[in-house]
Amino acid sequence: MQAFVNSHEWIWSVLQIIHYVGMSLIVGIIGTLDLRILGLFKSIPIAALRPLVPWAVAGFFGNLLTGIVFVTGKDSGPSYYTDNLSFRLKMLFLVLAFVNLLIFQLSDLEQRTYATPAGANAPTAAKAVSAVSLVAWVLVIFFGRTMQYNDTLLLFLGM
Amino acid sequence: MLDYLEHLALADWVRSSPSVFAYSTVLCAHGVGLGMVVGVNTVIALRLLGVAPDIPLAGLRRLYGIVWIGFSINLVSGLLLFIAEAHTMAAMVAFWGKLLFVAAGMGIAELLKRSYFADLASVRAGVVTRVGRNLAIISLGCWYLALIAGRLTAYPDMVNGWLHLSGGST
Repeated sequence: MQAFVNSHEWIWSVLQIIHYVGMSLIVGIIGTLDLRILGLFKSIPIAALRPLVPWAVAGFFGNLLTGIVFVTGKDSGPSYYTDNLSFRLKMLFLVLAFVNLLIFQLSDLEQRTYATPAGANAPTAAKAVSAVSLVAWVLVIFFGRTMQYNDTLLLFLGM
Repeated sequence: MLDYLEHLALADWVRSSPSVFAYSTVLCAHGVGLGMVVGVNTVIALRLLGVAPDIPLAGLRRLYGIVWIGFSINLVSGLLLFIAEAHTMAAMVAFWGKLLFVAAGMGIAELLKRSYFADLASVRAGVVTRVGRNLAIISLGCWYLALIAGRLTAYPDMVNGWLHLSGGST
């Protein structure tokens, strides 16, 4: 795997493009859903956005796969990532986004939220879940981007 | 001109400051803005192409506010990233290609917003015409080509190799 990924520069660039496409699907679809739950675009019934969610899930799995290839395929070894504070924080906020989603799905919140018709407010607890989701995903992107410039983060944190 | 831009104090700060709020944060803002512009335009295109048909077209039009916020974030962060490395960026074919696709994508977005979604009769009826579907496909094409070209600016030597150009990456 490592040899294959590093055999041609274009392979790495294509994997990165896939990673960015996945990111766009997650931001566009989950972000729109979160903003609707928070009270924007109220003319859209929340359930109407639901058929878009599998596209975001597909983007997520594309990013999980390409992400695993990045970590295992890095020519300098996986420690480039695993020792990197930005990478660790990115994983932390991914876990936060995932736990947040589990709370939404395993409680009755998901059902109550999707029952919100056009013009109506989502349950307050769902708004909290959406706010956490938005913050978590922006931080996932932030720490994803600082990985390459981890020194600036360490300096900021005085580490 | 490029020299002038690169020597601005602001350009120097973005390029050389060890602060996490310089290059790292500007780059992150560019990533979030990309997600907003490409992602939300994708949502609109998918609706026009028949995914999520229960989304009212009139409500969809409001999503362009997010597109414009994302575009503004990327215009500012993009200008900062450009002046930091003006010579390198200006020499890249992928960079100019990206700008072209972004301009075309925003043009299609405005066309959809101002003419397509403004046609109240069809919007109220919830019917997506062939023009709407075609514009959605062109929009997706522009945005994902812009994304690809933007990513390729990180690989100037590889792109120049494809185009049989030498140099260009400093």
